[in-house]
Amino acid sequence: MAPHASLRGALTALTASLIGSSVAQAVGPNSTETSILIYSEKDRTRATEATFNYNKALKQDIGLNLRLTFDALSGATPTGASPSRYAQTLTRPSGGQTVLVPAGQHPVDDSFHDTRYAVDATFSRPLGRLATGKLGARWSGEADYRSLGLNIGFTQDLNRRNTTVGLSAAVNHDVVSPVGGFYAPLSEVGSLDNETPDERRARFEGKEKNVYDVVLSLAQVLDSKTALRLSGSVTRANGYLTDPYKVFSVVQGPDSTDPGEPITALYENRPERRQQNAVMAQMKRQMAGGAADVSYRYFWDDWGVRSHSVDVAWHVAFVRRTALIPRVRWYRQSAADFHVPFVIEVGPLPRYASADSRLAEFQALTFGMGCLVPVKPGTQVNLMVEYYRQRGDVPPPDALGTAVPVELFPRLDVIMIRLGYAHEFF
Amino acid sequence: MSKRKQTRVRTRLFLGLALVAGLPFMGGCATMGVDPLERGILAQPEMTFEFRANDQAFDDHIYFSKEASSGGRGFGGGGCGCN
Repeated sequence: MAPHASLRGALTALTASLIGSSVAQAVGPNSTETSILIYSEKDRTRATEATFNYNKALKQDIGLNLRLTFDALSGATPTGASPSRYAQTLTRPSGGQTVLVPAGQHPVDDSFHDTRYAVDATFSRPLGRLATGKLGARWSGEADYRSLGLNIGFTQDLNRRNTTVGLSAAVNHDVVSPVGGFYAPLSEVGSLDNETPDERRARFEGKEKNVYDVVLSLAQVLDSKTALRLSGSVTRANGYLTDPYKVFSVVQGPDSTDPGEPITALYENRPERRQQNAVMAQMKRQMAGGAADVSYRYFWDDWGVRSHSVDVAWHVAFVRRTALIPRVRWYRQSAADFHVPFVIEVGPLPRYASADSRLAEFQALTFGMGCLVPVKPGTQVNLMVEYYRQRGDVPPPDALGTAVPVELFPRLDVIMIRLGYAHEFF
Repeated sequence: MSKRKQTRVRTRLFLGLALVAGLPFMGGCATMGVDPLERGILAQPEMTFEFRANDQAFDDHIYFSKEASSGGRGFGGGGCGCN
C-alpha cells in the first residue's frame, strides 16, 4: 500500500507542478469527508456535530461543494446573572420555571437543548484559464433560529500562478424566535403576568437580522517552500442582535446591608447595528521535516471589542504519510463597551447592557494534537483531540470594590474530539 | 466623536492605507514566486490553505459561538443562533 500511496502523492505533486496549480486553490479529484465533533464543556454544554462534505466535478468544468451539518446541543449555559454568597432562586430567562442556584455558583439555564441542521452548496467554475467564480447558498435551521444566505466569490491567478487575489461577498437573512418568546429589553425576569392573547402573539413573532460580509484576500508563493496569505473582512449586521436568553443582575449598592448581592435580574439589550472588521496573515512553510502553519488575526468592531488570535500548527509526516499535527491557539479580547458584570441598584439604568461573558475581557488557550493515518490510497482517517479554556478577569465597579467575593467571569474548560474520514474517488 | 464613528473612520483609514500600501506590493509580487517545476512541495495537501476544510469549519463555528470575534479569512457572521 505504502509505495502506491507515496507514488500517488508524488504523481499528484508532479501533475500539479506541471499544470501549475494555484497557490490558493487545491485542484483535487472528487472527494468526500465525513467528520464528527464531540464538544464537552466541564459541567455545562455538550454538543455533537456531524459534517458531510462532498466535492464533485460536474459537466463543463463546474465544481460542486456540498456540506451538510447536523448539531445536537444540550446542557447548562450561564445566563449572565451574578453569583451570590447565598443560594438563590431564579426564574429561567426563557420564562416559567424557577431554578435553585447554590451559593457562589454562576446561575445557568440547564433547560437548554437544541438541534441544528445546515446545508451549504457552492458551485464553482473557471472563468478563462486563470480565474474562478463561485456562487453559493446556505440554509440553516434550529428550533429558535433560521438563516438563509447567498454568497459569491471570484479569484484571479497572476504571475505564473504565484499570486492569487480573491474577493467574495455574502448576505445572510436570519430570523430569531426564542423559546418562551421575547421579553422587553431591560424588563425584569419573571415579572410578566396577565398578558392578553394579542400581546402574547406579538411576543412570539420572530425578529430579523441581516448580515453582510465582504472578504478580500491575497495569496502569494514566496519561495519553493513558503506561501503567505493576507486577508481582511468587513461584516455589517443590523436588526435583532440581542441574546434573548441572557440577563444581568441588579445588585445592592455599597451603602446597603449586603453590598454586591443580587436583588433581581433584567433582560439584556444590545445595539441594533454592529460593524466588525478583521485582518489576518497566514503562512505555510515546509521546515524541519514538517509543514508549519502560522496565523495571526486582529479584530475590531464598533461595540468596542478588540482581539488578537495567534494559531500555530505543525504537520509532521512519518512513514507511510502518517502525520501528527500539534496545535496551539492563543486568543485575547477586550470587553464590549456595554458589557457590565451587573448594575448597582442606585444609579441610572444604562441604555445597552449585557453581562454575557462572551462580551467580557478574557483570554483563551487551545492545545491540541491531531493524527492523520492513510488507510489506503486516497483514503485517510484523522483524529484531533483538543483542550480549550477561557479565563477572564471581570472586576466589579469601583463603588463596590472588594465587596464582591466571588469570581464574576464564568471559567470555561472544554474538551473537543474530532474524528474524520476522507475519501477520494474518480 | 462617538465610538461607532471612530471605528468607521479607522476602518476607512485602514482600507485606504491597505490599498496604498498594497499597490507597490502587488508590483513586488511579480518578481516573487517560483517556476512551475519548483512547486512540488507547495502542491502537497498540507501546504495548501484549504487543507482540513472540515476542521476549519468546526473551528469557525466553535470560536464564533464562544468568543466575540469572527471573520478574517472567511465570512464573519450569521447562520447560527449560537451568538
